[in-house]
Amino acid sequence: MDVFGDEAFNVPDSTDWLGTPLACLMPVEQAFRCHVCKDFYDSPMLTSCNHTFCSLCIRRCLSVDSKCPLCRATDQESKLRGNWALREAVEAFKNSRKVLLEFARTPPTIQAILPDQAGPSSPSKRKATEMEGPKEEDPESKRPRRSTRSTRARAAELTAAILQEEQDTTPSADPDYVDQPPDDGLVACPICLTRMKEQQVDRHLDTSCPGSPQAASKRRPIPAQTPQPSTFPSFNTRLTSQTNQKPPERLPALAYSMLRDTALRKKLSELGLSTHGSRQLLEKRHKEWITLWNANCDSSRPKKRSELLRDLDEWERTVGNPGTAAGGGGGQQGLGLMARAQATGAQIKDKEFDGKAWATRYGGSFGDLIKQARQGIKRQTLDGNGEKADTKGGGGGEDVGPAELPTLQAREGESSAAPTRMDIVPPSSPPRPGQVDDADTEHDGQAPGKDAIAEDTAMREQVIPGTPDKERQWETSQQQQPPIPGDAQLSGMKKPNPETC
Amino acid sequence: MSLNVAQRRLLQEYRALTNNPPEGITAGPISEDDLLHWECLIQGPEGTPFEGGVFPAELKFPNDYPHMPPTMKFLGDIFHPNVYPSGLVCISILHPPGDDPNHYETASERWSPIQSVEKILLSVMSMLAEPNDESPANVEAAKMWREKRSEYEARVKASVRASLGL
Ligand SMILES: [Zn+2]
Ligand SMILES: [Zn+2]
Ligand SMILES: [Zn+2]
Repeated sequence: MDVFGDEAFNVPDSTDWLGTPLACLMPVEQAFRCHVCKDFYDSPMLTSCNHTFCSLCIRRCLSVDSKCPLCRATDQESKLRGNWALREAVEAFKNSRKVLLEFARTPPTIQAILPDQAGPSSPSKRKATEMEGPKEEDPESKRPRRSTRSTRARAAELTAAILQEEQDTTPSADPDYVDQPPDDGLVACPICLTRMKEQQVDRHLDTSCPGSPQAASKRRPIPAQTPQPSTFPSFNTRLTSQTNQKPPERLPALAYSMLRDTALRKKLSELGLSTHGSRQLLEKRHKEWITLWNANCDSSRPKKRSELLRDLDEWERTVGNPGTAAGGGGGQQGLGLMARAQATGAQIKDKEFDGKAWATRYGGSFGDLIKQARQGIKRQTLDGNGEKADTKGGGGGEDVGPAELPTLQAREGESSAAPTRMDIVPPSSPPRPGQVDDADTEHDGQAPGKDAIAEDTAMREQVIPGTPDKERQWETSQQQQPPIPGDAQLSGMKKPNPETC
Repeated sequence: MSLNVAQRRLLQEYRALTNNPPEGITAGPISEDDLLHWECLIQGPEGTPFEGGVFPAELKFPNDYPHMPPTMKFLGDIFHPNVYPSGLVCISILHPPGDDPNHYETASERWSPIQSVEKILLSVMSMLAEPNDESPANVEAAKMWREKRSEYEARVKASVRASLGL
């Protein structure tokens, strides 16, 4: 199973525009994204310093150190103000993103003229491959599959052929190519810029133009590609937020130092929250609830209380619970990979898979980097730059020379484990933009040397639980750390830096 | 399975690093099962004794990432003033927000939620190029770097070559 192919793991990013003719939209999309969570602004709020973050993001930041994460100006939650214009802009951009991206990744002519030719499977196919990254062309949609052809289809084919010719001479990445109308006797659709015979324009606008509402209503419904009134939520939310019950009121922060345990428990039970746990946990739980609650008050589509309780539950299981890594302070920090993964609700599955996934994704780049590195060193040596230095740090320095390099495969028991691991990585192509989701298919193939990888993965996992606890300093707490074991031999020389890392 | 803020943001960063990889850096989660555990590769910066080397490291993120920083640990041998002999990296961007009680660092140098994996790895690259010997994690390396620079550089070069099997 590959969760990266999973819908839930499909995280769009502003870099998705790179490699398309609309790469200029990357900074536009970045402007719609929060600096803290890197996601589209959710209930954007203005700080006193005029920076904007999601409500939940900035409330969390302020609860950590009362400072704006961008400029470090001091601020407080009560001064936050909703940035409603940005909220609408983000919604509008999000709603148009998918269509724009498909448009950017598919040669516009084909998409505009051959919606029928592409067949009913086309939209879902595009959906499935949406995240695969920029594509030069989609051979399937270029070749009409039907043998019975209407005049329009033949005209379209002709147009496509002409445009293909243009593309061959003009790189489609050149944003200017639209501005130079070819002398082909055709005209451009005023909406989608597809070129066609003048007398076809009306019919195109009525039936097949992707940007025309008339065409949209006549075509087979294509989800998200067709701007239906329902995809413009600003109308709806404005209406419903007026008709809905009045928004919930924000909760005030508590001065915990002024509250006795019993009073704090009372506050929690008044809010319908659990009163179990240490004093520290009670405070954290109350604080988290206020953060969740108040952020929800800023939302244009507030969640129900039951959903917020679920969010609090999730928080309790991960960040809030001192038993897990993030909670810190407890003696369980060093439980290792397994325990942490379970604590977050994830499950450790087939261990062998880890190695394969890693190999698939990094095999190419590991191999390349190692190769480059070795060649670089070799060149240096030949140039006389890489002086043969004292080999205190490891052996093997004598091997270097113009002679053929020994295959790495043969080496074993190398002091540095890492390159050994790279060596056993099966060869694969280096990752290219948007390859993330390709992993799915690539995992199906049995990678050569997988046993070695699995073994190695297991080896690495054994190392992790043994890592000293103090190295996992997840917490803010400034508690002094005893020197880590590796420093023992140095402690006689000089007192190691007490600062935690 | 729904993603929490930390997981979602890490996927986001992974996607950006894949779509638009910075030079000399490769990074990503080791397994889909634990998005909070990454492995990365850093190329040694040019013009330094680390040049030509490729250094694997692991990053471990807390559940409240990005509000708290990850830890970073080199998996191979790195002889450097700001890297503990265990491989643990000690630089300001990896230190939690707030002021440093030892006043080595100002708040602006420390972790903030607007930082990212990419910024960390770039900082580590420049750390390799320019050690900060104010708060050494490896006292021996710091001392050698300060007092016997050529010996330090020779030792680093030798370990780089050894790690590449040359
Ligand atoms: Zn945010
Ligand atoms: Zn600010
Ligand atoms: Zn107004």
